[in-house]
Amino acid sequence: MEEFVIQTEDLTKDYSNWFRKTPNPALKDLTISIPKGCIFGFLGPNGAGKTTTIKILMGLIRPTGGTASVLGKPYDDVEIKNRIGFLPDSPAFTPTLSAQEFLDVCGRLLKIPGNERKQRVAEVLEIVRMAPCAKSKLGTFSRGMLQRIGIAQAILNRPDLLILDEPLLGLDPYGRQEFKEIILGQKHDFRASVFFSSHILSDVEEICDSISILNKGRLLCAGPISKLLAGGGMGLTVEIHNCDEAVRELMASADNVRKTGASDWEISFAQKTPELTTKLDALAAHYGTPVKIRHANDDLETFFFKKIEEDNATKS
Amino acid sequence: MSEIMAIASGTWKNILRMKVVYFLVFCVWVLVGIASMYEVLTIGYHKPLMIDVALVLNTIAAVLVVLSVTFEIPRELRQGVAATLLTKSLGRTQYLAGKMVGICIAGFVICVLIAAGAFLIYSQTFSERIAGTMLQAQILLILSIIPMSSIAVFFATLFPDVVAPVLTILVIWFAFSTGALSNIPVLYGGILPNLDFFNFKSHAVYLEPIPGSYILLVTAWGIAYAIFLLMFTSFFFKAKDIK
Repeated sequence: MEEFVIQTEDLTKDYSNWFRKTPNPALKDLTISIPKGCIFGFLGPNGAGKTTTIKILMGLIRPTGGTASVLGKPYDDVEIKNRIGFLPDSPAFTPTLSAQEFLDVCGRLLKIPGNERKQRVAEVLEIVRMAPCAKSKLGTFSRGMLQRIGIAQAILNRPDLLILDEPLLGLDPYGRQEFKEIILGQKHDFRASVFFSSHILSDVEEICDSISILNKGRLLCAGPISKLLAGGGMGLTVEIHNCDEAVRELMASADNVRKTGASDWEISFAQKTPELTTKLDALAAHYGTPVKIRHANDDLETFFFKKIEEDNATKS
Repeated sequence: MSEIMAIASGTWKNILRMKVVYFLVFCVWVLVGIASMYEVLTIGYHKPLMIDVALVLNTIAAVLVVLSVTFEIPRELRQGVAATLLTKSLGRTQYLAGKMVGICIAGFVICVLIAAGAFLIYSQTFSERIAGTMLQAQILLILSIIPMSSIAVFFATLFPDVVAPVLTILVIWFAFSTGALSNIPVLYGGILPNLDFFNFKSHAVYLEPIPGSYILLVTAWGIAYAIFLLMFTSFFFKAKDIK
């Protein structure tokens, strides 16, 4: 049984050809390993190489260098696709087919037997709330409706791995909430691993276990969200037992003070300054263990911008 | 095989749902019927004219159906429909084969409709049964869709949708003109298509029978040629990035 659902090593893609002599690298030496059972957010600004990576993993484009494997098999293995569900960005389908017919074609391609296929198509249409439009032609669907059909065809075969490129695009807030429930459902009910790219960082922060950030084809960081965001924040919180003159002085300059027990206080500061650090060091030296200092975490958006700006500043 | 038929079913349904197809069929029937009015102009040869017109127009209809794939495949590649399908357990060769089979099925249905209508018009106009050679000529014409569809798939896969239909028509025209190139035998019947193998209009008009063995042989050639060209197309398609 594979430990990692996706593994890449020095994965590179250069779009230059004999017409275009100057190098046009979309991806440079990407090395990531995504563990099984994880919901993994693949982040980056426009043009970072996210879609290129996803298309390589799905065998749609060939890398210029490096290796990639999906569910333990090479990325271009055709049979392994039976275990993968894929949603492209801006999904498009045959306009003259109905939603039901198109999903039936997908089901046949995924080798789902006839009777089970009919039932499964009805099931996924219910899950994405498109059952009333089952017999309508795909050419009449709105952007959001096509996105829902895209999600339906991705989960049709109860995949072991879902690869989704901008799945939240075109969905209204209700649709986004339903999508998050579908993803979490796939993970909990079918132990599916999920790999998806998105620009909606609040949703990524809400449902992802791990993330990676790409910029200009290079990997900037990867790992569990909690570890990446820990301690990077601007503020801090002090937990203290007891309240004397020194503590009251501290409370006067705090942004927020909360009583958590008979003699226990939680004092929060939005900004960490050198003066504050000096005061806290003195407090900790005086009181010892009853003083606990917790550094605030960044939110994902702040962390994302920090990482991109740092990288751009380094490279410029 | 089921994957090929899945793609084929999507393709022929897409074509047969176009309203313009039925307008085309109706126009062909009208033009075949009009041939009966040329008794004076043709000095009594309006019957052979009708047979010839039916075969020519059915050939044109077959070419138009085949041409539809030169727009469909580039559109699917450009819009991402092909990407969605190719990320299932579907090889690229199977995708192309499915497209080819789908075009053949759609072409067969449309050409059979046209032929059936033409036969009905003929039998009603002249109160005669349809001759066997007329039927054989129509069958050969319908079978020519097999190599024609492989030519269309070849150009549609490798060229943009502005250029692919033009190249397809040129090659099909060339392939029907091989009588004029009879000094270059190595080129046709082998590497380049020779659709003249399927052209028996004169036999139909003058009621000269076509041997059954010939029909079988030429069908086998058409299928072999289509498979050869499909493999050739697939070789290039497998190396192509689908962006």
